[in-house]
Amino acid sequence: MLNLISFQSSALGALGQLALLAALAFTLGGTWLAVVGGLRADTRATEAARRAVWAVFALVSLATLTLMAALLGDDFSVRYVAEHSMRASPTWVKVTSLWGALEGSILLWAWLLAGFAFVLSLTLRRDALRPWALGAMFVSLLFFVGVCASVASPFTPVAQIPADGRGPNPALQNHWMMAIHPVLLYLGFVGLAVPFAYAVAALITGRLSDHWVVATRRWTLTAWAFLTAAIVAGGWWSYETLGWGGYWAWDPVENASLIPWLLATAFLHSVQIQERRGLMRAWNVWLIVLAYASTVLGTFLNRSGIVQSVHAFAGGPVGPVFLGFLAFLLVAGIGLAAWRAPHLRDEADAPAPVSREGAFLAGNWLFLVFAVMVLVGTLFPTLVEAVQGRRDASVGPAFYNAFAIPLGLGLMLLMGVGPLLPWRRAEGEKLWQALRPLLLAGLSAGLLAFVLGVRSPGVLGTIALSAYNLVGLGLLTLRALRQRGGGFAGLVREQPRRYGAYLAHVGLVVMALGIAFSGAYRQDAQATLNVGAAPSRLLNETLALRSVGVERRTDGASQVARVLIDGRPFEARLNTFIQGGETAFAAPAVRYGLLGDTYLVVTAFDPQGRWASVRLIESPLISWIWWGTLVVVLGAGLTLVTPRRAAVRVPVTRAAAATD
Amino acid sequence: MTAPSPLPQARRRKRSPLPTVLGVLALVGLTGFIAFGNLGRSLEYFVTPTEYVQQRAELEGRPLRMGGLVRAVRYDPQTLDLRFDVTDGGASFPVQYTGAVSDLFKENQGVVVRGEFQGNTFHASELVVKHSEEYNVPQTQAELKDLLRQSE
Repeated sequence: MLNLISFQSSALGALGQLALLAALAFTLGGTWLAVVGGLRADTRATEAARRAVWAVFALVSLATLTLMAALLGDDFSVRYVAEHSMRASPTWVKVTSLWGALEGSILLWAWLLAGFAFVLSLTLRRDALRPWALGAMFVSLLFFVGVCASVASPFTPVAQIPADGRGPNPALQNHWMMAIHPVLLYLGFVGLAVPFAYAVAALITGRLSDHWVVATRRWTLTAWAFLTAAIVAGGWWSYETLGWGGYWAWDPVENASLIPWLLATAFLHSVQIQERRGLMRAWNVWLIVLAYASTVLGTFLNRSGIVQSVHAFAGGPVGPVFLGFLAFLLVAGIGLAAWRAPHLRDEADAPAPVSREGAFLAGNWLFLVFAVMVLVGTLFPTLVEAVQGRRDASVGPAFYNAFAIPLGLGLMLLMGVGPLLPWRRAEGEKLWQALRPLLLAGLSAGLLAFVLGVRSPGVLGTIALSAYNLVGLGLLTLRALRQRGGGFAGLVREQPRRYGAYLAHVGLVVMALGIAFSGAYRQDAQATLNVGAAPSRLLNETLALRSVGVERRTDGASQVARVLIDGRPFEARLNTFIQGGETAFAAPAVRYGLLGDTYLVVTAFDPQGRWASVRLIESPLISWIWWGTLVVVLGAGLTLVTPRRAAVRVPVTRAAAATD
Repeated sequence: MTAPSPLPQARRRKRSPLPTVLGVLALVGLTGFIAFGNLGRSLEYFVTPTEYVQQRAELEGRPLRMGGLVRAVRYDPQTLDLRFDVTDGGASFPVQYTGAVSDLFKENQGVVVRGEFQGNTFHASELVVKHSEEYNVPQTQAELKDLLRQSE
């Protein structure tokens, strides 16, 4: 703590550190005010806590801007800048260095969290939940702002100011996706803090009616959409830069982002049962507590070095601090829920198995089992190490695929039947009538695929279930059109929630097909090509190497191989960076296609420019994963649109617009 | 704003919790069975050549990661055929790999290979060359550094 504020630190360093300390003070004050406001039902204290959120947001914004200014201005008296930036980097790399290393990424997290708290403070209804929801946000802020201002401060001064910084991690400046994926991911993680705060408020006040669930629908959906986009963007990033032609490796840190996504997806569905039927109230509280805790678990895994991962930052004091916060969240969340759960009463008995809510509940179990299995796989090597003393056992993708494929297919099965089933109960006769066209479509699609030569059971299942889902959604839409009339656009405008969900499901089907095909039918081959030699045959393509050359950049150099693949030019690169020494980072040349991608990586060069070793990968339908995600996110966005009533025009009051 | 109203007394549940409990137990059991049945087999251990010699009976034919130092490199860039020995100062094993290798693959370099033993030769499916101390250094590399020091 002693060296945090030093007279030797530069103006920017001191400003940033002071802003963080002031933000911490306001966070502490705000927490206290919120608790007083809640305990005494004191409106003035609550209002003051609300204002404190604004101050925290302003101060953390100031700290973030200060760090940005230090990065852009090459102020190497700030330790973070000295260690993670350098003069020669292009401007966009300097900007992304803000979250390219530990301290900066926690500052970004704190800033986004403060931003969400700010928006929440503007939209919170004036009810009993208000002080406690603010208070719960303050507790999260207390942790993140506290970490930023103390053990992981980016503003600590350096003893000797270097002439130039050490530069960003070259692996992170190899692609512009560095500007997108981390921000999306943090928006998703941080967004889950809001429903968590509402759940805590509902537990504390005992207002466990369904208001908190309704109030958090938009927050949860927004966070979920960001998280979905972030996970896939991360996959696409690694596809575009790492040179292995894949997008998902079941790496511990990838898993750490998948676990909250699975829990949040389960929550999005089970919350609808509570909204519609008043069931599963305790369940929803547990789900959101676990989903939020799992985001912190993810960060802990990422930061502590306890599991091996390509993402792991070096250890340091931050790991144990995150573990402490995780333990606190779990103990407090479980304690609160255990205290209140006996009072959580559902309005009716358990859902009937054959009903919309029955399908949602079954899906919830699958999501939960999925999340538990991913967690087990992620932590198992660490457990083995602790128990058996064996170093470094690791669980391969085979383990994950063994359950991920059947669980994924099971979820697709439920996804198709869910929207067909009525709430409460379905009669057997009607269910069979409704299901018949779907099953027929699924079976015929599966058979057709089999006749066309598809033999992998996972792919066959995916094709059959895709047809089953699409036909189901199509029939539901047609039926609604026939009943209501007024055209498709009118239908969507009246029920954006329903059709947004349908659209998201269509996107998931597109993604599933992309995952199945690119996983099962990916082809991979390596060869050495010689300049001027006869074209080589590789994976049904002819490859000819035209030239190998070096291009200089301000921050390093690129070796470029120009290859003709079936007459089309490809430029694959190996990039080196000043701060990365000889280490080369591949920048593959990818030709995207609707039916499949051609992916070329250069793996080695002859220094004299006579030959280059390349790896050629062909993955069918892989871009369907990216397009499918876009559809999912558009669908999630559509569900947020306020429905337009057909005849009655309700004047939108400010209060109504501000709450939901 | 009013003080929070007291919660009503919890009503005794009408239905028996037995089905739920049984359901949860079945799921936990199933999860455990899949996890620990499968995990045991899909675990991949990290060994050094000396450790492999000691635990050969147990590890033969299993997927492994082996770490050590590179010796006696023979590489043909045209056929992408790579052969080298990996050693930790004690034991040494020949490794066979097919694929491009950058200039960074040198004698005495720390390396981790993933693959399995067929007889006395390690058939590697993946090659993780240690490029730099600075970036993304897995924990195994710390151990490798110790090896490096010992073998010097």
